Amino acid sequence: MSEKQVSYSEVTDTVLNIIKPAGAGWYAQLIICISLAALGGYCWARMMIWGLGEAAITHPIMWGVFITNFVFWVGIAHSGTLISAVLYLFRARFRQPIYRLAEAMTVFAVMTAGLFPFIHVGRPWLAYWCMPYPNQRALWPNFKSPLVWDVFAISTYFTISSIFFMVGLFPDIAVARDKATTWFRKTLYSITSLGWSGSNKQYKNYAAAYLLFAALATPLVVSVHSVVSWDFAMSLVPGWHATIFPPYFVAGAIFSGVAMVITLIIPLRRVFKLHNLVTEFHFDAMCKLILLTSNIVAYAYITEFYVAWFSNNDFERYQFWFRPFGDFKVAFWGMVFCNCIAPQALWFKKLRSNITFLFIMSIIINIGMWLERFNIIFTSLSREFIPAAWGNYNFSWIDVGITLGSFGWFGMWMTLFIKFFPSIAIVEVKEIIHPPKRHAEEH
Amino acid sequence: MRGEKVVTGVYTYLDDAMRAIDVAKSKNLDFKTYSPTYVHEFDEYANDKRSNARFFTGIGAITGLISGFTLAIMCALDYPMRVSAKDLVAPPAYIVIGYECTILFGGLCTLLSILVLCGVPNIFKKPGYDPRFSDDKFGVVIACDPKSVDEISDAVRATGADEVLVNDTL
Repeated sequence: MSEKQVSYSEVTDTVLNIIKPAGAGWYAQLIICISLAALGGYCWARMMIWGLGEAAITHPIMWGVFITNFVFWVGIAHSGTLISAVLYLFRARFRQPIYRLAEAMTVFAVMTAGLFPFIHVGRPWLAYWCMPYPNQRALWPNFKSPLVWDVFAISTYFTISSIFFMVGLFPDIAVARDKATTWFRKTLYSITSLGWSGSNKQYKNYAAAYLLFAALATPLVVSVHSVVSWDFAMSLVPGWHATIFPPYFVAGAIFSGVAMVITLIIPLRRVFKLHNLVTEFHFDAMCKLILLTSNIVAYAYITEFYVAWFSNNDFERYQFWFRPFGDFKVAFWGMVFCNCIAPQALWFKKLRSNITFLFIMSIIINIGMWLERFNIIFTSLSREFIPAAWGNYNFSWIDVGITLGSFGWFGMWMTLFIKFFPSIAIVEVKEIIHPPKRHAEEH
Repeated sequence: MRGEKVVTGVYTYLDDAMRAIDVAKSKNLDFKTYSPTYVHEFDEYANDKRSNARFFTGIGAITGLISGFTLAIMCALDYPMRVSAKDLVAPPAYIVIGYECTILFGGLCTLLSILVLCGVPNIFKKPGYDPRFSDDKFGVVIACDPKSVDEISDAVRATGADEVLVNDTL
């Protein structure tokens, strides 16, 4: 953002313009998202009545599409905290206009990811059994299990991300409150801003607490997807039992999450004319982050193959032959193209500046990251140790419906959020603008 | 705030607002500043103490660490099923639980620190607050006795305020 060209009131007006009463386009988008979510809900209901077999889940790929979606959405959730917390600690100047949307994306993506364990258990009314309560219900949770760690990791991540997100919103909602014209909005914002007034005492304590939040959330960026990766790596399944998984998952999550931020922010910028707040500088910085993480992910893919060969373990070697040349080879090569080859185009400044190209690239990357999770889960489970236990997977329309439903669910929350709450951090954007002074030289 | 009345100066320029703080300090009056964003220059002028938020976070984090390990260890001891010759309690495996609880409790206590130290929720008590302060104006609110309202208002106006408002302290 070129801060010298923008005034405080311009920032306020530009951002609050987004939450003005919606047009037909917004309603159309909301209806599409709700319809997709309803399709997912219908498929889930059908599966509850007729059983998990409706979703084609069967031996040996018992994790199926649902855990693929779970890991995909957790990965999407990842970069919100990276952008909001880690870049805050590093004082990265490209963070301010994009972090609110990234945080919202995090919260809604975790809400989406959190549905899949519920869906996958088949009997969601018993899903609370997953919660590691102490032993009152005679469930004896095993605290040595990565699956229990995952429950802690995801629930902590969701709680901290949600609080971080809401805390960041208070001052901006206060701005919306003071500009609200309708009774409904005035009441909504008065309650949700908690009566924030923007006194110096408030800002001082708020800034100190926010810094501490960022410091607490930063290790979560590393830990959440590390713990998710241990769901795989702690097992003995060929293709999963690898120490490279935590860094590889974390890099992949940042890669997909930043791509999703680009997917979301480009239409928002275009529709609401945010060109003076979200500039090419911000896209350029995000592209460099994508390029870095793409290369880390590519390096991890190569390392997996090398280690499989170097291990001299027949099962590992077979697994890594099966991935590029077996039944799921299309998914493998799709993943390689989307995650490793296509992002190399971002080395060129001209392409990093081409917003249409970036939008297409961000979608390609997210398809690639979904395929990556698909590859990890499907290829390894379909070819474990004993050939008699090998098998394949026949997708059902329930799988597809629930997957589309998850995108509808996520999109529905994002669409509602964008229209009701400031999706760009007004107060933080103002912080990087030089405050107006009558006699600049005096102070 | 100390005083029955508050005089509010609405400013476009930050340096003018800081001159109003000088006025309040010179007369030893209670004052408060509002701004559209966090203005660090006000910190120096207001001589505010360092925030105590870190104590909340620290206490929460330590409580979480202890709680996480306690939960895992007590559950293991409550169902003493020994596998092979392994110890019942496996502290390395509980580091993840302890770590997650540290972050969780630390975060919840940091939220508490915002509520306590920033004085929110507080929907009604905002003496001298003007909606323009969240947009593009700076505000300096000075509390005073009714008899000195005129004197303070004149002094605030002289610092370059766009507008001077007088209200009761709530």
